[in-house]
Amino acid sequence: MKAWFADFAADFRLNFIDGSMWKWLVQGLKNTLLITFFALLMGVVLGVVVAAVRSSYDKNRETMALHKGFGYYVFTFVNGICKLYLTVIRGTPVMVQLLIMYFIIFASSRNDILIATIAFGINSGAYVAEILRGGIMSIDNGQFEAGRSLGFNYVQTMLHIVIPQVFKSVLPTLCNEFIVLLKETSIAGYVGVMDLTKAGDLIRGRTFSAFLPLIAVALIYLVLVVVLTALVGVLERRLRKNER
Amino acid sequence: MSANEIIRVSGLKKYYKGDKIKALDGVDTVIHHGEVVVVIGPSGSGKSTFLRSLNLLEVPTEGEIYVNGENILAKGADINIHRQKMGMVFQHFNLFPHMTILRNMTIAPMKLLKKSRAEAEALAMELLEKVGLADRANAYPSQLSGGQKQRVAIVRALCMQPDVMLFDEPTSALDPEMVGEVLEVMKSLARDGMTMIVVTHEMGFAREVGSRVIFMADGRIIEEGEPRELFENPRSERLRTFLAKVL
Ligand SMILES: Nc1ncnc2c1ncn2[C@@H]1O[C@H](COP(=O)(O)OP(=O)(O)OP(=O)(O)O)[C@@H](O)[C@H]1O
Ligand SMILES: [Mg+2]
Repeated sequence: MKAWFADFAADFRLNFIDGSMWKWLVQGLKNTLLITFFALLMGVVLGVVVAAVRSSYDKNRETMALHKGFGYYVFTFVNGICKLYLTVIRGTPVMVQLLIMYFIIFASSRNDILIATIAFGINSGAYVAEILRGGIMSIDNGQFEAGRSLGFNYVQTMLHIVIPQVFKSVLPTLCNEFIVLLKETSIAGYVGVMDLTKAGDLIRGRTFSAFLPLIAVALIYLVLVVVLTALVGVLERRLRKNER
Repeated sequence: MSANEIIRVSGLKKYYKGDKIKALDGVDTVIHHGEVVVVIGPSGSGKSTFLRSLNLLEVPTEGEIYVNGENILAKGADINIHRQKMGMVFQHFNLFPHMTILRNMTIAPMKLLKKSRAEAEALAMELLEKVGLADRANAYPSQLSGGQKQRVAIVRALCMQPDVMLFDEPTSALDPEMVGEVLEVMKSLARDGMTMIVVTHEMGFAREVGSRVIFMADGRIIEEGEPRELFENPRSERLRTFLAKVL
């Protein structure tokens, strides 16, 4: 037991203390959180816009087709773009998207953290959009009709009546999407970003000892995910309590 | 347009799937101020489609709808203003589940008519008082019975002080013992002179407060007239068969 502990201490020193390699992990974690946070922000903005376009197009197509104006054709076109975006992003692996971003679209830039953030943001936007759209579709059409029949216009009906209900029902799912995003960023190392995973791997390459660095990385992800999941749980319970 | 005419519908058609389904196949009628028009007819005859066309929840394929002399299908017509003046009560109540009863009733007057909270709440409480639900003002819809929900839905629409009230089978989703309380509210509304268009299977209601009954089948008005006259001397075979089933 004592010998094992001494081994462990030596291993720990080799992997984390010598050459201050623990700082790599800290730096990696910082990059992981940075990418996740800004990708999330971008994902939400993109997702809200795309969901708004997609669901208002579906809801208003009939009325708009009544007087086919210029706006109708613009809207149809924008809706088509959104559909294409959703199909492409959800139909290809995020890894491939990241590589395309890095080696083709932004081939001339070497700001790898920014490129990774954009790639993950664009990817998560598609999933957020579909979660929101699913939430909007799940609201009984009678709610729209009641709002409209009182005289609210489409936007007011969404704002005052539909969105508050959607928000409650999709918030936990959205949070879970963000937890998935946090884990997905672990492939950022492929385009040269030193994220948490890459940092662990660098240490492994330097010390030729795989166990501790990789387990440490796994533990850090695990703690983050467990804590975030617990927070989502609290949120979920709080939302349910307000329902009455 | 006669002075007390409020709605004029002409040549109203609504087709689905190209022209395979003719939900409305040429409806013409005029509704006057203070009239209580009861629309009856077999399932699928187009009653709901007709009612929902009046506030453009369904967009007609063809035809004209004039409200207070204004063509609401015209390009520049403001459908939202028009809907504010036309209350609607649905079969399934459609109360907003995330708001209290009071909020359900005040949100539209406050946001759309720019009423102050005090003013909107005063009217809401007065109406709740009338339908015997003042003590439930701060409850949520899920805490009410079906009959109570429908009474709230009626007064929610009344909070916008509409010129006309549309009812689409307001008692069809209710347990039998709750039908009466909702019909009572509707009857008192009728006696107060509200213009009402009511799709219902409650022939007693039609007889008691209806000023006119419209019988629809296959997307058309087959027969219309004063309730007693229509029920006692149906002219068409279709109406006779229908009445034999429901009376
Ligand atoms: N969105 C739709 N798409 C296709 N057909 C429709 C649609 N809405 C209504 N219809 C059809 O139009 C016809 C008239 O329907 P409507 O709902 O107006 O009948 P109704 O008289 O209200 O019947 P009920 O007594 O069952 O409520 C029916 O044949 C119905 O199937
Ligand atoms: Mg119907």
